[in-house]
Amino acid sequence: MSAAVALGIIALVVVATIALGLYGVRGVKMDAQEYIVGGRRIGALLLWLLLAGEIYTTFTFLGAAGWAYGKGAPAYYILCYGTLAYIISFFLAPAVHRIARERGYLTGPDFFRDRYESRLLGALVALVGFVMLVPYVTLQLTGIQILVQIAGFGRIDPLVAVAIAFFMIALFTFVAGLRGAAWAAVAKDGLVLIGVIFAGLVLPAHFFGSPAGAMDAVLRDPTHPNWLVIGPPSAGANSITWVVTTVVLTGCGFFMWPQSMAAIYSARDEETLRRNAIFLPFYQVMLLLVFFAGFTALEVVPGLKGPAADQSFMLIVQKYYPAWVLGIIAAAGVLAGLVPAAGQMLAAASIIGKNVCADYGFARDERSQTLVTRVLVLVVAILAFGFWAVAKTTLVGLLLIGYNGVTQFFPGVVLGVADRRPSAAAVGAGIVAGLVVLIVCTVRGVGQIDGVNTGLIALIANVVVLAIASVAVPRRATSGEIA
Amino acid sequence: MAGRPNATALVCAAIPVLALTVGVIPADRLEPRIFGMPFVLAWIVLWVLLTPAFLSAAHRSMRG
Repeated sequence: MSAAVALGIIALVVVATIALGLYGVRGVKMDAQEYIVGGRRIGALLLWLLLAGEIYTTFTFLGAAGWAYGKGAPAYYILCYGTLAYIISFFLAPAVHRIARERGYLTGPDFFRDRYESRLLGALVALVGFVMLVPYVTLQLTGIQILVQIAGFGRIDPLVAVAIAFFMIALFTFVAGLRGAAWAAVAKDGLVLIGVIFAGLVLPAHFFGSPAGAMDAVLRDPTHPNWLVIGPPSAGANSITWVVTTVVLTGCGFFMWPQSMAAIYSARDEETLRRNAIFLPFYQVMLLLVFFAGFTALEVVPGLKGPAADQSFMLIVQKYYPAWVLGIIAAAGVLAGLVPAAGQMLAAASIIGKNVCADYGFARDERSQTLVTRVLVLVVAILAFGFWAVAKTTLVGLLLIGYNGVTQFFPGVVLGVADRRPSAAAVGAGIVAGLVVLIVCTVRGVGQIDGVNTGLIALIANVVVLAIASVAVPRRATSGEIA
Repeated sequence: MAGRPNATALVCAAIPVLALTVGVIPADRLEPRIFGMPFVLAWIVLWVLLTPAFLSAAHRSMRG
């Protein structure tokens, strides 16, 4: 009975959200520009929700609490890097948007193709972005699986439930495009806010009187010494060195995801982007509440190890609260997986459709481009689902590679807004060098060297190779033609 | 309409960047606790909340 109530609420919420998204795009004519970047007319409020929607994924919802539960203070890095990313975006996003509007870009790789006048560089960026995105979509599925399992009290086969929810959202993305995803984010953010307030304020108040009380309890617990501060030691995994280098790395990488570039293009104008960058840090404070939920769970349901830590506060809700509360909180988490997954699938599909298919002569005209992108959305969905069904255990590692991978685009985007730019060969060589460092480190299972995140080492290798190569292969005089 | 980034804007933006990166190193302490939060967490939250003020200042300087 409890399982039926909780799962019923989740199903109702998912259906209602899809309905809202479809309502948002009623009467909108779907050409490629409308489908992929919302016709470049997304206003301040909807853009805020779209950008925020990409931050608050199930991984944040469950993962940030899981980190606070399983690792303690190193989790604070999550608060820092988003803020750093907004500061960078305050300067970078309006410049990228202006160029994208003037030159009519639809995808992140379009920026590389046009600014460096190389179709090959565009295709390289598209392929790398695609490879990094599929595991990210898959990760959302793992989050949804955890939530459905808890809401179903372990009696439901999550495979079936996840398959239904996921293909509904894939179909939704197929129909509604980016503007639909932004509208779905309205429902998602409202519900996530309720869920986070419940988990971060109501739970600690229930068990310890207040969040401060929960933190007192963590400090009193002798099994977790120094849980609320980062150091010592000063080097090694999760040390202060790791936190600072990871904040720098992920702060630079944040807007490099193809779906984030698409969100930048979709803005109505540059001022909208600047205002969003100014106010988005306030949104980060929600994460503080998620940490409180993780700390509370650490003292109420201790002993969860490894990936099980991600279930921390949901288990409290399951154990101590009525089924309808569990249903609402789990529904918030499910939307936090499905809505970002829509944006990610759309981005993954559009970069292959545009920068690999259309740029190489397949399906070039507007209508077939929209059709190809739509079909690719379904292909991405099937790939991600297959990936999830086969190899769901090693995904967190894959996501970290993904983040480190897309960060390699950062030098190319920053230098790309300048008037004098390096050659495509130099930018491409830098990206390849960064990826080689990442792959070598990943194969050897090295995530940090003396506390320095290997992604940052890869980024430095990227910049060094880019600098050397731009001296060796200077940029030819611009002809304005694209090879 | 805002123009290009100028020196004032870049300095305004650099302050929270430094506070949230290298600034976390000296701030990594438990005491004094603020609203029950360890000092390092309170430091980070404070700078996250101050960032909009610094970016607004940068924005104003760019509008000239």
